[in-house]
Amino acid sequence: MNRLHPRSAVLRVARAALQGGFFGFFGGSLGTGMLGLPGFAVPLLGLLGALTFSGYALARYLRFRYELDGDTLTVESGVFARQSRQIPLGRVQNLDVEQNIINRLLGLAIVRFETAGGSATEATLDAVDETEVKRLRNYVRTHDRDEATGTETGAADAVSEAATSSRAAHADLPGVNGSTPARTGDAQTADDFGDPVSASDTAERDQPDGSLLFAFDQRELLTYALVSVRPAAPVLTLASLPLGMDVVWAVLRFNATLSGASLNGPVVRWLASSPETTRLVVFAALSAIQFLLLALVVSVALTVIEYYGFQLTQADGDLRYERGLLRRYSGNIPMEKVQTVTIRENILMRRFGYATLAVETAGYSGGNQQSTQGVAVPLAPREEVYELARDIEPFGDLNFDRSPTRARRRYLARFSLAAAGLTAVAYAVDSLVLATGYWWLAALLFLPVVPAAHLRWRHRGFDLDDSVLATRSGFWRRTTRIVPYYRLQTVFVTRSPFQRRRDLATVGADTASSSSLLGGVARVYDIDEDTASELRDTLREHLTAHVAGLRTGDRVSDADS
Amino acid sequence: MESLHPRVRLLWVLSTVIQASVLGVIAYLVDRFAVSLPQTVIVGGWVVLVLLGVAHAIAAHRIWRFDLQDDALFLLRGVVTRTDTSVPYVRVQHVDTTRGPVERAIGLASVVVYTAGTRGADITIPGLRPERATELREQLRDLANESEATDAV
Repeated sequence: MNRLHPRSAVLRVARAALQGGFFGFFGGSLGTGMLGLPGFAVPLLGLLGALTFSGYALARYLRFRYELDGDTLTVESGVFARQSRQIPLGRVQNLDVEQNIINRLLGLAIVRFETAGGSATEATLDAVDETEVKRLRNYVRTHDRDEATGTETGAADAVSEAATSSRAAHADLPGVNGSTPARTGDAQTADDFGDPVSASDTAERDQPDGSLLFAFDQRELLTYALVSVRPAAPVLTLASLPLGMDVVWAVLRFNATLSGASLNGPVVRWLASSPETTRLVVFAALSAIQFLLLALVVSVALTVIEYYGFQLTQADGDLRYERGLLRRYSGNIPMEKVQTVTIRENILMRRFGYATLAVETAGYSGGNQQSTQGVAVPLAPREEVYELARDIEPFGDLNFDRSPTRARRRYLARFSLAAAGLTAVAYAVDSLVLATGYWWLAALLFLPVVPAAHLRWRHRGFDLDDSVLATRSGFWRRTTRIVPYYRLQTVFVTRSPFQRRRDLATVGADTASSSSLLGGVARVYDIDEDTASELRDTLREHLTAHVAGLRTGDRVSDADS
Repeated sequence: MESLHPRVRLLWVLSTVIQASVLGVIAYLVDRFAVSLPQTVIVGGWVVLVLLGVAHAIAAHRIWRFDLQDDALFLLRGVVTRTDTSVPYVRVQHVDTTRGPVERAIGLASVVVYTAGTRGADITIPGLRPERATELREQLRDLANESEATDAV
């Protein structure tokens, strides 16, 4: 059994001592104030708190042991309630590594093992040193590879069955050449993407057999940060900062004064003499502009911090990513564990021919709980993104079928209703509260209704490929999801009353991917009811056919041995 | 295609009555201690909710169907939005039978089918006679075992 790195123990004990000391000191001060304890009780309680907390931290460190043995990772932990957990390595979906600044200074890293069950991470090693990270990573990877070759030679044992079946699943599909190790396309892909120098760099540093698929230089990173602006970024950031909301109020008050009266200057004097409405509009416009500027700056900064030094390498059917400026993240995603592949292009990216590639496993998906789930390639020319997507999950050229035109009429009706509703609300608010007489401005919302309905219709579609179902939807941020038939979980067809009126239905194909952002479900929106039933039956047949194929495949390999 | 036991309507109506009564008690407390509400609103609201519940229960029972097909469990349900769900037997992780207190009082049981999926990862078939629920659970278990070839993820 191994322990975590001693330096991490020092770190934890120090942190616990600080916390405990503070807690005791605070409690002591309260006690002297309210209960009339003598003055020397304060440092005494502080010391006591520090000792208790650090003692507990040390006990936890000493109790925490882990071991990689054969097919299993065993973790024992707990001071009072003791826990022993065993994780079959074949079930590990991905392995993620995180280093914050302190860890980096100490040469430590936090390792997380994700499996499909449960919502939380199954095992967290906080923290081990970098050679140990390398050992763990290689152990898990070579373990997978051994099992795969095991099947190929027909010597699969009972234990490895579960792990290899999904790999066999790949090999069974039409158009997949061999079950993974050494894909032929790798070398070329690496050359196409980044400079060969950094490729060999990575190879030397970490993975003797890895090939670089993708890397960011500074300019590309900045481009990515600019085209993927998230307007919500400053809201979250400000809300999480200690003084964030106060800053917001201060700025808003300043805007109010500026658009109000109390300052001097010609603009302000004009504003002060103008009616209430104008002042309101100026205030709103000012705040909006500030917000958008802030959104741009914060979002770009966050993206740069998050994706600094991003690179994606491939080694033996594992994708391996590395990124982050302050906190370094890296992780391994076994390709045969990938559930769905998602290609996202927002309107700016489409304009310049770029796209984002995301992969999801049944684990925590790419080890990123924050913004973008499981991003494999943040930004690359669309053709390269599709090439890599095909490398992960082979599929042919996609020709999307659009929904029937009556779906477009449905969107038209829906958007018109929304516009009418908002106009009614505006009228009500204006006539009851504001009394500006400008409520009819809300009727301008009817203008974008027609183009909006058309664009929504135009960007929705689906395609049944030989081995995957592809769905597409969204104008501002178009999402193309690629779902291999053999990854389907349940298939459902829904018809709302409005859809039933027009004989339309939505088909949902659920997978085991864990992305909460995308909901895990690929949806084909508003297709003809009969097409929907056909689609459902086709999907089921494909899955059944695949499973049947898998079973005959198993029998063959059994006969071999 | 198999429908649910007719008594499931009683189950659904009873649970609506319970929910409406909880709301009624809250409304009564609000009326007593905070803002005064007209009694007609409280009583009327309760009656409307229960009537809606009855209508919904009747319609839901009429629509609800399930079927053990060759490769998948097929369910048809939904009063406002119709949904048909296919759960391939290969994807079944495990199957439960459950009996809540109201269900026990009425003499019914439910079967819950779990998959590894994200949406609809647990699918409930309510309104079954207890024997039928047990039987269905065993049928599903056997079908899932027969078709098992992968680790269902």
